[in-house]
Amino acid sequence: MKDWQPASMNPTLDESQRLFMALTEELKVPFEQIERRAELAALNGHVGDTKLIAATADDALRLIDNYLLAIRLQQNPEAKFTAQPVSVAAILYDARAELMALANRYNVQLELDIAGKYGPVLAHDVALKSALTSLGHSLISALPAAASSKKLYVKLSAHRGPKSIVAGIYSDEYVFTPEVLRRGRRLYGQTRQPLTGISPHAGAGIFIADTILRAMSLSLKASKYHNQSGLATALPLSPQLQLAGF
Amino acid sequence: MNMNILLVEPDVALVKIYGQALETAGHQVCVATDAQQAIDLIDEAVPDVVFLELQLVGHSGIEFLYELRSYAEWQKLPVIILSNVAPGEFTGSQNIFRRQLGINKYLYKPQASLEKILATINELEFA
Repeated sequence: MKDWQPASMNPTLDESQRLFMALTEELKVPFEQIERRAELAALNGHVGDTKLIAATADDALRLIDNYLLAIRLQQNPEAKFTAQPVSVAAILYDARAELMALANRYNVQLELDIAGKYGPVLAHDVALKSALTSLGHSLISALPAAASSKKLYVKLSAHRGPKSIVAGIYSDEYVFTPEVLRRGRRLYGQTRQPLTGISPHAGAGIFIADTILRAMSLSLKASKYHNQSGLATALPLSPQLQLAGF
Repeated sequence: MNMNILLVEPDVALVKIYGQALETAGHQVCVATDAQQAIDLIDEAVPDVVFLELQLVGHSGIEFLYELRSYAEWQKLPVIILSNVAPGEFTGSQNIFRRQLGINKYLYKPQASLEKILATINELEFA
């Protein structure tokens, strides 16, 4: 019988405080990577991979920026930015470009899967891209250190839903269910590992994405596509844009 | 003295860094990314020391330790915690750590330089 308990975080934190706690836990990892890489280089008596160190710092800064966007949206819901016609494919291309350095560091093959041609949806391109890159940050860094010869695959995917375009991130390596996501939403910022079956980290990127999407009246859901599990959002097709011939 | 080290660490980038540092210092390093894999690897070949992150996917590092110490032949296997969980989280549980779970040392990752990690192995060698 285990008769100890780690000190738990304050359960009365509000949502923005919880998101902040999750972010600070998550940021330990890239800072440790930067510091230990620099130390390793010094131990070995050479300059070291400064590009790798810079890329790690870049990813961490991007996560911070996405967090700040999420908080601004959460704190000031009236200051919504104007939705405009946005190409989901273009957003996914951009998100993939931003996540490539992280994917390479984690030995992950990051693929794009855009099934079919879609017209634009009404959304805010910066916020949507921020949500997807935040999501990608947590999902990629959650993947286990595989055997050196084995690559792990993660897909940024868009496919048609009944009245929407579903955009998300999928892999064979996760098992996301609605219950896993619900549990994570209850626990983030209050435990170090709100998604114990998925990630060894705080998963801040997932909950940052969740906050951003909610601010755009969208939702993040556990999703399955082509037998792969992941997290995705459904972007409603715009009847006006369809009428306009897009 | 060169040691056979089992590194139980789920983060890919940190595995590479710690692994390289330990190998450069002359040790042999085996990696497990989760508790079950760690148990399986120890079953195949018992290492000289285990470095253990407590935050794992699935079973935690603590659950791994309980499992490990339930085997008579692995009671004395040195375990060094190398974790993002701050030691202050376990206030009041230090005796459990030492006596029941047999933790030789607790290193808090943000404050555990590579030099400190290598020095900890040296302390074990001379203990």
